[in-house]
Amino acid sequence: MVRDRALAEDLAQETFIKVLNGIKSYRPEFKFSSWIFKIANNAAIDHLRRKSIDTLSLDGSPTAETPEQMRSTSLQVGDRAESPLDQALSRELGTAIERAIARLRPEYRSCILLRHVEGFSYEEIAETLDLPLGTVKTYIHRARNELRGYLEDRRD
Amino acid sequence: MTDLTMHLTTDEIELWAQGLLPAARALHLADCSLCRVEADRERKVILELVQLPTFAPQPGFADRVMAKVKVHTPSGDWQS
Repeated sequence: MVRDRALAEDLAQETFIKVLNGIKSYRPEFKFSSWIFKIANNAAIDHLRRKSIDTLSLDGSPTAETPEQMRSTSLQVGDRAESPLDQALSRELGTAIERAIARLRPEYRSCILLRHVEGFSYEEIAETLDLPLGTVKTYIHRARNELRGYLEDRRD
Repeated sequence: MTDLTMHLTTDEIELWAQGLLPAARALHLADCSLCRVEADRERKVILELVQLPTFAPQPGFADRVMAKVKVHTPSGDWQS
């Protein structure tokens, strides 16, 4: 999620401290693991938002429902191509899929990692992230499309 | 009943990538080059995702967490 092992551990530590200090606020009608993931996700999203400039998606607001809305909310940049220096730096920062994930907006990243790395169902993701089921499906489909695009750009 | 000529939805492609696509829809996939290309592209991404490495925390993680957890004492106080 944050692409930095030491930072991930700091956020995990923060998460478990919040879980244990706030255990009385846990509501047993929800899965305990979902509650922990929710706190962990909030910690990661808070961190990513603080340094959001390098994690923004280029493809418009996550709430955009139509291609027009996606276009009107997308960021405009002059050139998506990486310079040789950027490419060399990127190679040091992990695999192509990890770099592609890093370019997703945080909401998409949470959904795609919960789905395909943690093996959550769409319903569990919706409960964990407090999102409508349809939104979760939309985010996952858009995230996979973006990942495909990034990975195929790299192969070209 | 699903029309066998209908292209696969993104949900169905995900099911196929997991080996869970119903046989009737798999028949369409076998005959439709458009869906096969789309499904192959989707499967490559999903395979890359499931192969991402996972990490265990460094030794002492639990101790570092517990050092900052407030413990409720029998006297009703909280202590770190």
